[in-house]
Amino acid sequence: MTLAMNALQVLLLILLAPLVRGVIARLKARIQNRQGARVWRPYADLLKLFRKEDLVPASASFVFRLAPIVLFTSTLVVAAFVPLLHGSALLGVTGDFVLLVYLLALGRFFLMLGAMDGGSSFGGMGASREALVSTLAEAPFLLALMSVAIAARTGSIAGMVQWTVGQSFFQFSAVHALAFVALALVAIAETGRIPVDNPTTHLELTMIHEAMVLEYSGPSLALIEWASAIKLTMVMALLIALFVPWGMASSLSALALAVASLVLLLKIAALVLALALVESSVAKLRMYLVPDFLGVASALAILAVVFTALMR
Amino acid sequence: MTQVAFNSFLVAMLSVPMVTLISRRWTKARALPPVLLMGSLAVGVAVAAVGFWGGQRVTVDVSQVASFSFALSVDRLSAFFLLLICSVALPVVLFSSSYIPRHYAGARRHWLWALLPLFLLSMVLVVTASTAFAFLFGWELMTLFSASLILIDGDSEQRRHSIFIYLLMMHAGAAAVIGAFLLFLPHSSDFAQMRASATLMPPPLRTAVFLLAFVGFGTKAGIVPLHLWLPRAHPIAPSPVSALMSGIMLKTAIYGFVRFAFDFLGGGPSWWGYLVLLTGCVSGLLGVLYAISEHDLKRLLAYHSVENIGIIYLGLGSALVFTANHASIWAAAALTAALLHCLNHAIFKSLLFLGAGAISDAAHTLDLEELGGLQKRMRLTGAAFLIACCSIVGLPLFNGFVSECLTFRSFLAASEMTSLSAAIVLPLAAGVLALIGGLAAACFAKVYGVAFLGRPRSREAGSANEVSLPMQAGMGVLATACVVIGIFPGLVLRGLGTLTEELLPGAALPPAAASLSGVLPWIALFVLVLVAGIAAFKRAKKLTATWACGLPGLDQRMQYTSTAFSKPLRRVFSQVYKADRTLDVLPADQPYFPASISYRSVRTTSFEKSLYRPGVDAIVTAANRLRQLQTGNIQIYLLYIFAALIALLMFMRWA
Repeated sequence: MTLAMNALQVLLLILLAPLVRGVIARLKARIQNRQGARVWRPYADLLKLFRKEDLVPASASFVFRLAPIVLFTSTLVVAAFVPLLHGSALLGVTGDFVLLVYLLALGRFFLMLGAMDGGSSFGGMGASREALVSTLAEAPFLLALMSVAIAARTGSIAGMVQWTVGQSFFQFSAVHALAFVALALVAIAETGRIPVDNPTTHLELTMIHEAMVLEYSGPSLALIEWASAIKLTMVMALLIALFVPWGMASSLSALALAVASLVLLLKIAALVLALALVESSVAKLRMYLVPDFLGVASALAILAVVFTALMR
Repeated sequence: MTQVAFNSFLVAMLSVPMVTLISRRWTKARALPPVLLMGSLAVGVAVAAVGFWGGQRVTVDVSQVASFSFALSVDRLSAFFLLLICSVALPVVLFSSSYIPRHYAGARRHWLWALLPLFLLSMVLVVTASTAFAFLFGWELMTLFSASLILIDGDSEQRRHSIFIYLLMMHAGAAAVIGAFLLFLPHSSDFAQMRASATLMPPPLRTAVFLLAFVGFGTKAGIVPLHLWLPRAHPIAPSPVSALMSGIMLKTAIYGFVRFAFDFLGGGPSWWGYLVLLTGCVSGLLGVLYAISEHDLKRLLAYHSVENIGIIYLGLGSALVFTANHASIWAAAALTAALLHCLNHAIFKSLLFLGAGAISDAAHTLDLEELGGLQKRMRLTGAAFLIACCSIVGLPLFNGFVSECLTFRSFLAASEMTSLSAAIVLPLAAGVLALIGGLAAACFAKVYGVAFLGRPRSREAGSANEVSLPMQAGMGVLATACVVIGIFPGLVLRGLGTLTEELLPGAALPPAAASLSGVLPWIALFVLVLVAGIAAFKRAKKLTATWACGLPGLDQRMQYTSTAFSKPLRRVFSQVYKADRTLDVLPADQPYFPASISYRSVRTTSFEKSLYRPGVDAIVTAANRLRQLQTGNIQIYLLYIFAALIALLMFMRWA
C-alpha cells in the first residue's frame, strides 16, 4: 500500500511538472501586463515535440542522443527520493541526500557532453557556463542538506521530513532559516531561473541552459524540457518537504491524502507566485556575478552547519 | 596451496626479465614476456583474493638463510593492496602487449619488458614486506625502476631535469621513511615487534614517527605541497607506465601511511587527523584546479592524481579524528572509504592513462586543442574513457561514487560526537569534497567533450582509427570493473569491513555502508530499464547540419576549445593561477595598426615558487660560498692539508 502510494507520488510529480511551468509562464505574463499562453501549453509543446523527428548533427556521436535519456532518467530517480504527500518516498536510504545531489550531477554531466557533441560554439559556451554554475552550486547544496540532516539526526530525506513534521513551526532554529535561504538560492541556480539564467531568453550570448539545448529537437528536446520541468517541481517539493512539511498525511486514508494534496498544491502555488514575482522584478545577473550569488549561498550553508554544532 | 602459489608468483615475476633477455633474438617468442607476466599476475590475483576475502596468511622468510632480516608476509591489509596491484596491472599488461611492440623496437622494447615486471615486483615487495629492511629495499627499487622506465622514452635535457626532481624528492621522502623506521629501534626489525613496541612509546616519539611517516609517504603519494615531481614525472613516462605509476605506485604510499598510522600507532591525538584532513582539502582543491587549466591530457591526469590522493586523505584524516574520539565504528567507515577509493582510483586512473595511450596511438597527439570527434572513430576506447570520466567525477552507478558517498556519510556522523571541533570541521570538509567533485565534473566534461565529441580539430584526429584488439580488451576490462564496483559495491565492501575490523579493534562497518550497496543495484536496474525503454521508443533520426545561425561554412575552429571551456572557472579562481602575461605589440608607436601582436600567458604556481625558491636559493648560495675554498691552486690545497695536520695534532694534544 505504502509502496503503491509512493509510486503514485512520483507519477503525480512527473505529470504535474509541465503544469507548474505553464502556471509560472502565465503568471509572469499577467504580472508583465501580457495575455500569456494557456497553462496547458507545456503539455501541447511536449506532445508536439514527441511527434516530430529527431534532428541529429552529422558530426555527433551516440552521446548526443544518449544525453537527454540519461538526464530524464536521473531526474526521475531523484524525484523518487522526495516525499510529497506523506512522510516517506519511493526510494529512501540513509545518506540518500548525497545520492540526490550526485544524481542531478549525473544528468547535468551528460547534458553538458551532449551540448558539446553538436560541434558548434553555442553548445560549448553553454556547457562551459553550466560547468561554472553547477560547480559552485554543488557545495552549498550539499552543505545545506547536511545541516538539516544534522539537525534532524538522520541521514535520509524522508527521516528529515518526519522529524520536521514532529516539530512546531515556532521551534524552528536558525539552522533551518539559514539552510532554507541557502537552498532557495541554490535551487534558482540549479533550475536555471532568473537571476542566474533566463529560461526564456532568445539571445544566444546570454544563454546557459538554452545554449546547451540549442542543437536538440523533437523527442530529445521534449525529454530535456520535461526533465527540467520535473526538476523545477521536484526542487520546489524538496524545499516544501524539508522546511514546511506540515499538512502532510499522517495516515494513508483517502481523506488525509486529499487534504495533503490540497495543502501541497497551495504551497506549490505560493512558491510559483513568489518565483513569478521575483522573475518579473529582478534582472538577470552578469555571468561573473553568479559566483558572488552562489558565494552568499555557500556562506549561509557554512553558517548553518556551524550552528548545528554550536546549538546542540 | 596458497603458500606454493605465492612462492611461484614471486619466482615467475622474477623470471620474466630473464626470459625477455634470453629470448630477445628469437622473434617467435615475442609474445612470451607479456603472456608470462600476465600468467604470473593472475596467480598473484588468486593469492591476494584468498588472503583478502579468506584471511589466509602466507609468509616467505629468508632471514634464516640470509644474514639480514628479509621476510614477506601477506596479512589482510597486504592482501588488499596486493589485489589492487595485480588486478589492475593485469589489464595494463594486456594493453601493453600490443602498445609496446607498436611504439618501441629493439633494445628499448626488451628493456621495457624486463623492467616492467621488476617495477611491479618492487611494488609487491613494498606491500607484502614484514620487515623494515624488505620494505625499504622494495621502496628504493620502486623509485629506481620507475625512473629507469621513464628514461626509456628518451633522455633530453628537459626530461632529465624532470627525472632529477623526481629522484631528488623521492630520496628526501625515503629519508623520512627510514627515519620513521629508525625511531622504532631497537625493535625495528620486523613489523610484529614494531606493532608491539609502538604501544610502549612515549607520546612525543609517537608524534615524531607519525610526522616522519606523514612527510615520507606524503611525498610519494604526491600531497600538496610535496607533489612537484608528480606532474613532471608521470606525463613523460610511456602510457602504460604512467598508468602503473598513477594507478598503483601512489597507492603503495597510502599503504605505508595506513600501516604506520593505523596498524603500528593505532591512531593518535585528534590533531593528527586534522593535519591529514587539511592536507586532503588542499591537495584535492589545488590538484583539480591545476588540472582544469591543463591542455596536455597526461599532465591533466597527473594533476587529477593529486586531487584523488586528496580525497583519499580526507577519508584517512576523518578516520584518524574518529579514532581519537573513540568512535571506532565511523573510523571504520572512513577508513573503508579511503581504502575503497584507493582501489577505485587505481582502476579508473589507469584506465584514463591507457585511454591517453590509445589517443596518442591513434591521433599522435595528447594536446586537447588538437583532438575532437574521436568517439565516432574509436567507439570502444571512447566508451571506456567515458566510463572512466564518470567514475572519476564520482557519478552514481560508477565506482568513484561509492567511496565518495561513504566519505560523506562519515563526515555527517561527526555531528554526533561530543568534540565540538570535530562536529564543525568534518561536516565542513564535506563542502570541500563537494566542491572538488563539482570541479572534477567540469574538468572531465571538458576532457571528454573536447577530445571525443564534436568535430576533429586537426587532420590527425580526423584520420584516427580504433586501436588494436588487446588494447581495447585491456581498457574494456578496467571499464567493466568500474561499473561492477559502482553497482555492486558489496563485493569489495564486505572484505574491507573485515579488514578495518582487524585494523581498528572494536570497529564494525556501520549499516549505512550496507544500505548504499543495497539500493544501488535497484537504481541501476531502474535506470537500465528506463534508458532501454526510452531508447527503444525513440524514432528514426535524421542527420542534419549543425545550426550556424543560418550562415554557411561552420568549421571545427568555431567550436569551443579546451582553453575557452575552462576560462570562466579560471577567472573565478584566478587567485590560484596568477598567470604571467606578456603582450607585445610591434611597432610600439602604432598601437592601432600593429605589424605583429604576440601574446604569451604562462600559468605560474605562485606558492611553489614562494615555498621552494628560498630553499633552493639558500642551497645554491651556500654551495657558491663553499666553492671559494676550491680555488684549483695547489699551494692552497697544501696549506689546507698542513692546517688540517696542525689541527689534528692540537686535538690529540689536548683531548
